[in-house]
Amino acid sequence: MPTDAGSTVPGASDFTYSGRFGPILRLALVTGLITLLTVGIYRFWATARLRRYVWGSVRVGGDALEYTGTGLEKFVGFLFAVVVLALWLGAVQIVLFLFGVVIVADPRTEEEAITQALAFSASSLAQALALAASSLAVVPFVFFAQYRARRYKLARTRLRGIRFGMEPAAWGYVWRALGHGALTVVTLGLLLPRQTFALEAYMTNRSFFGDARFAQGGRWTALYRYLRHVGIGVAILIAGGVLTGVESGFGPFLMFVGYVSAFLGIVHYNVQSFGWLSRHKTLAGGVGFDARPSTRRVIWIGFQGGVLITILFAVLAVVFIAMIAGTFGGAMQGGGPPPVGALVVSVLGYLAAFVLTGALATALISQPILRHYIETCTITGIGALDGIVQRAHDRGADAEGFADALDMGGAF
Amino acid sequence: MAGRVPSALYDGQTARRHVVGVEVGQGALVLHHADGRVEHWPFERLRRISAHADGRTFTLALHSETGDEVPRDPARLVVSDAGLAEAIRRAAPTLGRHDLPRGAIRRVMVGTVAALGAVALILFVIVPMLAATIAERMPRETEIAFGRSVVAQVEGFLAEDDAPLACEGAAGRAALDRMAARLTAGRTLDYDLRIAVFDHPMVNAFAAPGGHVILMRGLIEAAQGPDEVAGVLAHEIGHVEARDPTRLALRSAGSAGILSLLIGDMLGGAAVAVAAEYMLTAAYSREAEAAADAYALALLAEAGVGAGGLADFFARVAPKAGRMPEYLASHPGIAGRADRARAAVAAPTAPILSETEWSALRAICG
Repeated sequence: MPTDAGSTVPGASDFTYSGRFGPILRLALVTGLITLLTVGIYRFWATARLRRYVWGSVRVGGDALEYTGTGLEKFVGFLFAVVVLALWLGAVQIVLFLFGVVIVADPRTEEEAITQALAFSASSLAQALALAASSLAVVPFVFFAQYRARRYKLARTRLRGIRFGMEPAAWGYVWRALGHGALTVVTLGLLLPRQTFALEAYMTNRSFFGDARFAQGGRWTALYRYLRHVGIGVAILIAGGVLTGVESGFGPFLMFVGYVSAFLGIVHYNVQSFGWLSRHKTLAGGVGFDARPSTRRVIWIGFQGGVLITILFAVLAVVFIAMIAGTFGGAMQGGGPPPVGALVVSVLGYLAAFVLTGALATALISQPILRHYIETCTITGIGALDGIVQRAHDRGADAEGFADALDMGGAF
Repeated sequence: MAGRVPSALYDGQTARRHVVGVEVGQGALVLHHADGRVEHWPFERLRRISAHADGRTFTLALHSETGDEVPRDPARLVVSDAGLAEAIRRAAPTLGRHDLPRGAIRRVMVGTVAALGAVALILFVIVPMLAATIAERMPRETEIAFGRSVVAQVEGFLAEDDAPLACEGAAGRAALDRMAARLTAGRTLDYDLRIAVFDHPMVNAFAAPGGHVILMRGLIEAAQGPDEVAGVLAHEIGHVEARDPTRLALRSAGSAGILSLLIGDMLGGAAVAVAAEYMLTAAYSREAEAAADAYALALLAEAGVGAGGLADFFARVAPKAGRMPEYLASHPGIAGRADRARAAVAAPTAPILSETEWSALRAICG
């Protein structure tokens, strides 16, 4: 009976997602609490566990994705990135200092005031300049980290036991991202589609499944149609501004409408340009993708989740404050300092709320949006996968350490 | 569970799906290929890669030191039959084990030590070195302007109702100038001194970049004679001439960014960063203090002022350090230094200020 069956699995053209609300909420809560208790050190292991669940829930033509990254390598990568960034930022700070501009923290004691004053100069303009310069100094590393993070995630993803991968070319991405970013800013956003396309194509054309290369097709000008809503929103915003200028009560309302529609327009652009770019990707010449995400659905999931979390927190906050007042209210009547117990309970409550929000956002927003993206995508020509050969292990370089050090993690 | 269950096998070499007949054998899972080949997957090496959505079936791999991120052979066996899955779960007790790649613990230790070492190297060697180099090359005007803003900031913090702190008593000012003039009479200084007295009870004095020296009213009141104030002033002039305040400021700036990066966004990180920053930079190094002492003693000797003033002041501050932490905090090792200053006490000397001038200085803040 056993025969080589090739890829003839039922529903072979489907992407499916089987992750559920309960398990991911539990996972996010537990890992969030351990992260809190270990002052953040566990977050690398938390990410790995969450990804193992999410990847394992994605099926391509009936086969589950597999995430093989470990918290350990992410932790080591983070340490490495911290050393590199520390060197770079230390140098930048000292150069900034030459121009007499440094960031100031609020002193708390007289001694601190003197020490800090010795260390830091004064004016708020100078502070703003220094802050901007420090942030600018980090920008190249942000792009570097973006590419490296994608490369690491691909290198740790397997399908049918075969590794994905990406060529090491992060610095080339940095120069292109800086150049396209500058062009987009100079043209007031008019060249955004060109930036979106060029950067995605740069990464896609360097991505592999086994020995097969991905390719990004299509022309960047096609993305303009998805930018239309942003244009309309901005136009309404400007009209509202003009009306406000001529003292019409209608102006501010119009500005609000313009602002909201521009924001929704940006969401639309992100969702639809992702769909379009996916539809124009090919793998190994024969495999294609058909992605049809719905902007309305994505916005609805985000809105619904946001409202639910807000309501839950309003209720919890009222209950919590009532509890504290009931327990410690007597001690606070005299107008003295609040008792230590009340402070401890408040801090614990704040931290618990912090972990709960993150977990709820994962379970109510991130996962449903991911599910929507996956379930609205199909794969064509899946039979071509059969000829694909394994690729070599990638050490993963800094294992996303730069992205972690710069705190730029996405949902998963 | 009888007979062979058809299951999907990916051999780790290509993405082609193979169907093999799987049965639970003696000590191993037996995989029957279509071409008649038979593979044995030993139970003790079986590992579950991922649980499937139904919570019962799973994908399997073999434990193997491959040098990959996880020690797993690349081949994958998809077990989608619940009965087979249950039989495997019973036969292979190590199914759920997490294996660390060989040498993982050692790599983490090495990584942690290397990272801590590198950060220490940056904080305690590279940043101070860079700070010293830049302090040497910084234009004088930049340094002076910077010092002015530092003094203004300290003043703004110490003042309770935004009133200017600098004491302007004319006679006191004259006495202070005379003290400075006598101390520095024999020398050409690199900096024009900008000495001021702040109306504040703290027993403290500090030097800021570019020739600024600030004495607190509390310090003048705690002193038992003008020679003691002269000793402290000479010491601070020593810091000024050695460019210590500029170097310290540059060093703090460099360390601040690094520490905040290290602590990251972890909860309470900012407070730790500020505290660490303070511990790191509150004081000049002992070498810098000793050099400033030596400079002060030379200055006092040249001015014909008794170095006993410096010695007395140190001697009196040291035992009471508990109650006068300010000067001590920024001037470590006071006790030993009092002895050295006393040893340097020279031949008979004249007091640096007359009784009248001393009274004027004490009354400079009105």
